[in-house]
Amino acid sequence: MQTRSGWIRLAWGVALVVLVLGGLSHWQARSATAGERARAGALAAGRSAVAVLTSADAADPEATRARWLATTRAPLHDRLATGPAPDLTVRATVAEAALTALDPAGGSARMIAVVRLELTSAGGAVSTDRRRVTVALTRTGDGWKVADLATVPVEAV
Amino acid sequence: MRPLLRWIAPALVLAAGLALLVTGQLVRNGADTADRALTDRAATARVTEEVGSALGRAFSYSATDSEGTRTAARAVFTGAAGEQYRALTEQLRGWVGEQQLTLTSRVVATGVVRLDADRAELLVLLDQSARRPDGTPTLTAAQLLVGARLEAGHWLVTDLKSL
Repeated sequence: MQTRSGWIRLAWGVALVVLVLGGLSHWQARSATAGERARAGALAAGRSAVAVLTSADAADPEATRARWLATTRAPLHDRLATGPAPDLTVRATVAEAALTALDPAGGSARMIAVVRLELTSAGGAVSTDRRRVTVALTRTGDGWKVADLATVPVEAV
Repeated sequence: MRPLLRWIAPALVLAAGLALLVTGQLVRNGADTADRALTDRAATARVTEEVGSALGRAFSYSATDSEGTRTAARAVFTGAAGEQYRALTEQLRGWVGEQQLTLTSRVVATGVVRLDADRAELLVLLDQSARRPDGTPTLTAAQLLVGARLEAGHWLVTDLKSL
């Protein structure tokens, strides 16, 4: 029959084996799904950032700018910090967005999005518009941020 | 040491191991591994290229196109997309015939929204230019949400939605 210290040694053995297997399985799951997690993170953050960055509230330009700055990193961040305050009220919704490039290890991604805009002028006239944008995303300690945003121009084919 | 205390240390180590196992599984479940968009670069590049060039061809016409060219361009649409394509281009085709227009479409950017083994959804941005024999071109932007299915080694367009 086992002594008590024998049982404890066995418990230690089982516990260590489970720890090693658990650690291995956890590490495998994390590395195998790094691309999927980067994709989901970049797309979700990019979508909401595009909605923020294409919206504006002329009644409160400083709050608008603070929201813009919170979703961006250099170089776009610096341009927005020193650029003009918004003088138009725009409500934007992202109709569709998709990544066009993804580097999970380097922490960068590119995205395109189609945005529907509802613009209200200073006089109160409302109009709608559609905007196509390309976005460069970069992963920071505080999640994915927009490093650059450009409207896709319509060019002669 | 009291006997009970001697069991606590291995129990804690066991709990840590089990926690790692469970969280590893959660990480796996949270990530959509069936979706290969961008994580499988070769497959992503292939569906992007095939669907993009098919759309560029299908949304380009000229009054001088042969019937064969048009039939070939239409062959990429299947199911609901056939009817959607007809609806999107009906008016254009009338103009092309009447005014000797040449309509050219170029894919500016394509993003893969989702990609399974044989199904895909793509966001395609196009620039379109309509030109009369003597006139300056009129430019328009088009953006399509496209459903695609892999059939006999080729991506066919099953759904077309103009955004």
